[in-house]
Amino acid sequence: MVSITPNFQSEPRLHEAARIALPHIFEAAWPDPAKLGIDSKSAALLLNEARETFSSHLGVRSDEINFLGEPNLGFHLGLSGLMSAQKRLVYSNVDRMEIFAVSENHSSEMLSVSKTGQTDFSGLTASDVVSLQLCNRETGIIQSGRPENVSGLFIDATASGTRIKLPENWSTALWDSSTWAGPSGIGIFAVSKNANWKNPLPHLDGRINPGPTSLPLIVASALAIDSWVADEKNLAAKIAAINGDIRKYISSNIPDSDIAPGGADHLISASFLYVNAEQLVTALADKGYSVDSGSACSAANMQPSHVLAALGVLTQGNIRLTIHHATTFEDVKTFLEILSQTISECRG
Amino acid sequence: MILDCLGKRCPLPVIELAKALADKPIGFKVTLLSDDPASAPDLVAWARMTGNSAETGEQNTFQITKLTN
Repeated sequence: MVSITPNFQSEPRLHEAARIALPHIFEAAWPDPAKLGIDSKSAALLLNEARETFSSHLGVRSDEINFLGEPNLGFHLGLSGLMSAQKRLVYSNVDRMEIFAVSENHSSEMLSVSKTGQTDFSGLTASDVVSLQLCNRETGIIQSGRPENVSGLFIDATASGTRIKLPENWSTALWDSSTWAGPSGIGIFAVSKNANWKNPLPHLDGRINPGPTSLPLIVASALAIDSWVADEKNLAAKIAAINGDIRKYISSNIPDSDIAPGGADHLISASFLYVNAEQLVTALADKGYSVDSGSACSAANMQPSHVLAALGVLTQGNIRLTIHHATTFEDVKTFLEILSQTISECRG
Repeated sequence: MILDCLGKRCPLPVIELAKALADKPIGFKVTLLSDDPASAPDLVAWARMTGNSAETGEQNTFQITKLTN
């Protein structure tokens, strides 16, 4: 029997358009696109087409686009490349932990968000390099503030993908292929032609990353983004409605629940008092439902989610749900009943 | 009353606190000891959600006051 279990974890299945084409892409995209042979020329054409595709969907010039085989390397490239000894790195306490790690190498300041997760950028100076998270990947909070008149602006678009436009004054930006159901392990890193950016990594000639990055996966990601953006036009309203249903159900049917402030329709984070998250996540998995959690007991480092703590949201008994294009109203209806029942069981 | 939850992991400190307060009168005070990293954010969130009071004190101590039944 083939079971198709509803997936509420952040990782999407690879988009069908990419999955079907994958063997053919590997057939065509094996040569080095930088070489002169006839096969290399075909590979170079594929790479250029992929660049143009990303350029049109992400709103950057095709010659500003770079591909990363390790997407999270982009946090260091994007921020450290804008820094110098005279500059200050400014980021927020709901930013990715990768950014906290980068900040340790620089003079830096961490801003605390409001209860709704918004960052106040009014105290910035012209020597600040600022990290702006368009969308928080745990809660879906969308930043409304836009830093202006700063030395450099790094855009973390790893959770928003194509959903939110870059601000005009961006310097560097990072996307993750998995947000449009492309293959994981591919990042898109852009450096604006207007940015004062220096490669912080040891590098040869004009290369931005050591490379080479898998051309077949880049091409697969380009196919995925084209199809995903077309799907999103039709499915965005469904995802918004599902989000509303989940929030309404939890707040009216599950006592002692604490839903984190949100924004993007595909993300919800909710915590339940007196519940052990590891027990809850395991029990849900046994019943066929995969969810993420930001609670300490389900984290590798045994620390609660820094995002929930920064927002003052309960960190125990936390689950994070990602609503994918394939998620159905029926999946969610059954899931919510099972969630409610499982929470009662966990509370004993 | 002192409630010693040292060495206990989340959500146990909050569960034990709720149990300890269940039959106590309004205004009852508890000093809770907990070294779990989730206790600081979670006791404050618990107080907000249940209408009680929790204040973070010296290292690993929390002052709890029961304000509702």
